Amino acid sequence: SSKLSTQFDLKTYWTNLIGEINENLDQAIPVKYPDQIYEAMRYSVLAKGAKRAPPVMCITACELFGGDRLAAFPTACALEMVHAASLIHDDLPCMDNDPFRRGQPSNHTNYGVDMAILAGDALFPLGFQHIVSHTPSDLVPEQRLLRVIAEIARAVGSTGMAAGQFLELEGGPNSVEFVQEKKFGEMGECSAVCGGLLAGADDDELQRLRRYGRAVGVLYQVINDVLEEKTMKSKEIEDNKKKGKSYVGIYGIEKAMKVAEELRAQARKELDGFQKYGEKVAPLYSFVDYAADRGFRVGDLN
Amino acid sequence: RQDQNEPKPPFNFKSYMVQKANSVNQALDDAVSLRDPQKIHEAMRYSLLAGGKRVRPVLCLAACELVGGIESMAMPAACAVEMIHTMSLIHDDLPCMDNDDLRRGKPTNHKVFGEDVAVLAGDALLAFSFEHIAVTTPNVTPARIIRAIGELAKAIGTEGLVAGQVVDINSEGLGSEQIDLQRLEFIHLHKTAALLEAAVVLGAILGGGNDAEVEKLRKFARCIGLLFQVVDDILDVTMSSKELGKTAGKDLVADKVTYPKLMGIEKSREFAEKLKKEAKEQLVGFDPQKAAPLIALAEYIANRRS
Repeated sequence: SSKLSTQFDLKTYWTNLIGEINENLDQAIPVKYPDQIYEAMRYSVLAKGAKRAPPVMCITACELFGGDRLAAFPTACALEMVHAASLIHDDLPCMDNDPFRRGQPSNHTNYGVDMAILAGDALFPLGFQHIVSHTPSDLVPEQRLLRVIAEIARAVGSTGMAAGQFLELEGGPNSVEFVQEKKFGEMGECSAVCGGLLAGADDDELQRLRRYGRAVGVLYQVINDVLEEKTMKSKEIEDNKKKGKSYVGIYGIEKAMKVAEELRAQARKELDGFQKYGEKVAPLYSFVDYAADRGFRVGDLN
Repeated sequence: RQDQNEPKPPFNFKSYMVQKANSVNQALDDAVSLRDPQKIHEAMRYSLLAGGKRVRPVLCLAACELVGGIESMAMPAACAVEMIHTMSLIHDDLPCMDNDDLRRGKPTNHKVFGEDVAVLAGDALLAFSFEHIAVTTPNVTPARIIRAIGELAKAIGTEGLVAGQVVDINSEGLGSEQIDLQRLEFIHLHKTAALLEAAVVLGAILGGGNDAEVEKLRKFARCIGLLFQVVDDILDVTMSSKELGKTAGKDLVADKVTYPKLMGIEKSREFAEKLKKEAKEQLVGFDPQKAAPLIALAEYIANRRS
C-alpha cells in the first residue's frame, strides 16, 4: 500500500480538483441584489489559496466506491460553504477575535460584524439548497441525499463543530483533545462519510470512512500546530497555552509527534480494509501522508 | 352550511391554537434535549422554549392537514421552522445587529449566555432544523422531504430572511424620502413573509398536496406574511412596551421606515384589510371544514393586539 501511495501523484490530482471545485463554487454564488451579502459570502468561500480539503476528500471517497464525480460535486461544494460559514463565525470579535485568516482580512474586518454573521447564516442553508437543487437525481437516490444532509447538519451542529468552538471558548483544562476532534476531525469525518453515502457504501465501509476521516482531520491539525510552534514567538505560544488551543502548546512537540504517528497508523489501518478497491484507494493513502509530511505546499496549487 | 343535516359546531380557534401549540411545544422540548455541552443546549432551549405564539408551526400543521396529510407528517418541519425563526431572532438581537435586551418579555439570549454562545446557539439551531426534518419525518416519501428541505433552505438565505435583514440594515438612517414602498415590501417579503411561506409550503408538500395546491397556499402565505408585518408596524405605533412584551416605539426611535410612516395609519389598515381578503381568496375551493384553521389564522394575524 505504501508503494501505491508513493506512485500516486497527489499534487496533480489535487490541483485539478481544486480547479473544478473553484469553478463550481464560483457559479454557485452569483452576485444579485442585495450585492453586499453575496460579495461577503464570495469573499470567504472563494478566498485565494484555499486547500479545498473537505470537497476533495468527499469526491475521492465517492469515487472509491465507483460513484460518479458529478454526483459528488454539489455535496463537495456544500461542505466548503458550511465550512466557510463556521470559520466566518469563529473569527468574530465575540469569538476568537481574529482580524485575519490565511493572511487576508477576516470577513468581518472587511464587511462588518453584522454582514459577517449574516454571510455565515446564509452559507449554511445555501449548502443544503445546493445539494438539493444540483445533485443529479439519476445518480443519487433521494434516500441517500437525506442521509448526506443529516450528516452535514450533525457535523456542524451543537454536538459537532459548534460544540468544539464552544469548548475552545470555555477553555477547560483537559479540553484540547475534544476541541481538536470536534473542530478538525469532524469536518474530515463528515467529508469522507458524505462521499461514501453518495456512492452507496455499506454501513461497515461508512464506519471505516468515519474513523479514517476523523484521524486525518486531527492529524492535519496536530502537524499544523507542530509546524506553527517551530515558527512562533514565545509570547504567542504562551497565549495559545492559556487558551488551551494548541495540542503542542499543552503537551509539547514530542508528545504531539507521538500522537501524530498513532493517528497516521490508525488512518492507514482503516484504509487497509478497502483493499478490494485496488488502486482507487491510493488518493486516500496519499492524504494521510500529506497530512503528516506536507511534501508540498497546497497554497501554491492555485 | 345550514343545509347540512348535522351542523358541526363552529370552529373554535382558541382551543385549536392551544391544542396545536401544546403539541408543538412538546415536540420542540423532545427534539432539543439537554445534552453535552450543556450550556449551548441550554441557550438553544432558552430561546426556543420561551413560549412564542407558535404561529409558524401551527400554519405548517394546518397546511398539512388541509391537503389531506396528518399532523405527524409535518411536525418535524413545523419544529424546524420554529427553530429557524428562533435562530433569526437570537442573531437579530445581537449588539452588532438590532442590539435588543428584551424579547418576549425576557432578557435576550446574548444577555443571558453571552454573545459567543448566542451566535453558536443560533448556528446550532439552524443546522439542527435540517437534521431534524431529514431524520425524523415519518410516512413521507424521501422525494417530498428533499423538496421541503430545499424550500426551507431558500427561505433562510439570500433569497429569504438574510436578504430582508441586509436590506433592512442598509435602510437604517435613510428617511422615508429615500425608501419607497417597493423597498419596504422587499424587506418584509423576505424578513417576515419568506419563513411564513416556508411554514405553509412545507406543510403542503409533506401533507401530500399537488403542485396547484402548494402554489395556492404559497400565495396565501405571502399575503399573510406581509399582513403580519403591516399589523406589526401598526402595533408598534399604537401599543405600549408592556402590552407588546418588547420595546415599543422602537421603529420610531430607530427611525425605521414603517407602513404607518409611509402611508399613514388609516391607509395601513386598509392595506391590511386588502391582504387579508386576498389571502382568504386563495382558500376558496378547498374543503371549508379543513380550511377553517387557516382562515382563522389569517383573521388572527390581522386582528392580534400584540
